[in-house]
Parts: sequence; C-alpha cells; structure tokens
Amino acid sequence: MIFPTFKVFLSKIFVLLFLSTVFTGCENEVKDDFNDVSIDLVDQNGDPFNFPADLKGQPVLMGFVYINCPDICSFITANLYKVYSEMGEPEDIHFIVATFDPERDTPEELKHYASMFNMDQPPFRFLTGSPDQVDALMERVGVRTDVSYTKETDDGEELYFMNHSDKILLIDQNAQLIFDYGGSMTPTNILIEDLEKL
Amino acid sequence: MKRPEKISPVRLLPAILLFLAVILVGCGAGDESEEQPAAIDGEGISVEGSWVRPARAGRMSAGYFLITNFEDVDDTLTGISSGAAELTEIHESYEREEGMMGMREVPELTIPAQSTVTFEPGGLHIMFIQVSQSIEEGDQVEVTLHFANYGDLAVELPVRQ
Ligand SMILES: [Cu+2]
Repeated sequence: MIFPTFKVFLSKIFVLLFLSTVFTGCENEVKDDFNDVSIDLVDQNGDPFNFPADLKGQPVLMGFVYINCPDICSFITANLYKVYSEMGEPEDIHFIVATFDPERDTPEELKHYASMFNMDQPPFRFLTGSPDQVDALMERVGVRTDVSYTKETDDGEELYFMNHSDKILLIDQNAQLIFDYGGSMTPTNILIEDLEKL
Repeated sequence: MKRPEKISPVRLLPAILLFLAVILVGCGAGDESEEQPAAIDGEGISVEGSWVRPARAGRMSAGYFLITNFEDVDDTLTGISSGAAELTEIHESYEREEGMMGMREVPELTIPAQSTVTFEPGGLHIMFIQVSQSIEEGDQVEVTLHFANYGDLAVELPVRQ
C-alpha cells in the first residue's frame, strides 16, 4: 500500500513543479507586441531612430514627457536615471525618453534637457520627430495627450500646457511590452526587479 | 600579601557621572543640530527643505519646500513672486482622470494653524514659467512668498536636480 501512495505523492510533486514553472513563465507574459509598426524618429543628436527596430536586442525602459512640464515629467525622467544608477549603470539596457510635444521639443532642446539630468550620454536616448510620427508612436504605445490650458505671458506669447498619460513602459529584447507603470509614482526598486527578470 | 582591592560602586560614582554627562552632552548636541529650526523658530512662518530644478532660459522650472505655520490661526499663501521667471505661480499636479496627469494653478493656499504644508514632486509646486536666464545646479533662486496675515517672506531656494 505504501508504493501507490508514494507514487501519487510523487506525481503530485511533479504536477506542482510543472505548474510553478508555467506560472513563473507567466510573470513575463507579453501584453503587447510593437513589431507591427515602424516609426521613424530622431534622437537628441539628430540621429535617426526607428521604433521599435532600434530597440531590439536589449530590454528597454521608456518614459514619455514634454519639456515644459517641470514637475511630473522631470520626475519621470529622473526616475529613469535613478533606475540606471541604482542598477550600477548598466550599458545593456536602453533607457528612452520620448517627447509628445515635438513642435517645441526639437533635438537641440532635448539635448539640453538631457544634459540637465546628466543623461546626454549612452545608454540614454531622447526621441522626437515629425508631429505625425510622434503622434503615431503615442497612439501605438497608448500615451494620451491633450492641451490643458494656455497662458499669455507679458510679452504676448501664447503658452500651452498638456494633460498626458503618466507612463513608463518595460519592453523586452523582442519589442514586446511586458509592463506599463505609472511613470512618476512607481518605486524604482519595482522597475529594477522587473528589469532583472528579462 | 595584597589582594586586589574590590572597587566599590561609591568610588566609581564620579566616573559614572562623568560618563553619563559625556553621553548626554553628545546627545544634546546631536538633537540640537537636527531639530534646531522646529524648536527655536516657534513662531510665524518658516520655510525648510527647499530646492528648485535646473532649467534653460525661456523654459519652466519647479520649486519645492515645506511651509510651516507656527501661529494659532490659519494663514493664506496668496501668491509667490520672483524675478527669476516671467511668471511665478502656485501649482498643483493632479490626476485629471485615470492615468492622465495635468497641472493647474492654485490661486491661493491655506496654511492651517500649527501645521506644515508640503510642496513636492507630483503635487504642489512653485511653477516658474519662462525662467529669465538659465538656472543651474549651485545657483540660488530668490522668491517672495505673500501671506495674508504674516506678510511677505523672502527666501532663497538652492538649485539641484
Ligand atoms: Cu506646474
């Protein structure tokens, strides 16, 4: 009588082991696959950048900002730097910041913006492009934006501010979306933990 | 033959007292440096922990601090002015709808009696709209806070990332 019971026990263990393997696999379940698009952008040095082709081969952490947003967006940008520095400055991860305000955020402006965060250096890239291409990118990655209000300055200039999704995306080596986080509020240790699984 | 003398607690007393005194003085000094602002500036309005983000000329910056009202009555921050920017406003970032962030002007802000209001990333901030010249790490930005009761309070905010 002992042997059959033992066999059942063993088979249960195997089932559990199998299930745990399956579930561990599920932690990196793919939420989206960006291989269906090819969007031509440009980085802060004026070098062409294709989304997602130029991201492939390495995990990616990608945030979305506009420069005239010193609070939330600076927070998102600074968060990417924090992850980079807390991980010991890895060179094999892409850290990408893309603007959704291409009219104002030219490569030159992005270069200054990047340098203020000490991020005008690899592995960071700051992306902008033609309004059409930037819109296509934001639509594809699910970043929503609209003009929130405008303001006239003393010299008669009209300034606009934007409402926008607060996001950081974790994308794997194959341009597949693994997770989408609140960009400004997510603790960096969670981002690091998830990056380390890739 | 001389046996080692037993040291009585009474004889040790001066040493113990000295030892305790050293410890207490040490602790006292530590506390003083950490809590000085709260313990001594127990009246009026105080600003602590301030900083401003760097920004290029013509762009925006944000500033943060803690405002404490030590008085027994509420006060109102009615505005902030600064020569460092075209416009200086009290702002607040907020979630306009799920996952969508925006920011809005806060026309005036109550600083309740005996409390601290925190300006921090993702929430209340001083909004510097179109800074007149680039502000960089190590600079100081001068601002004046206008309170309904307390009057004006001029502070210098250090710039850092
Ligand atoms: Cu603001």
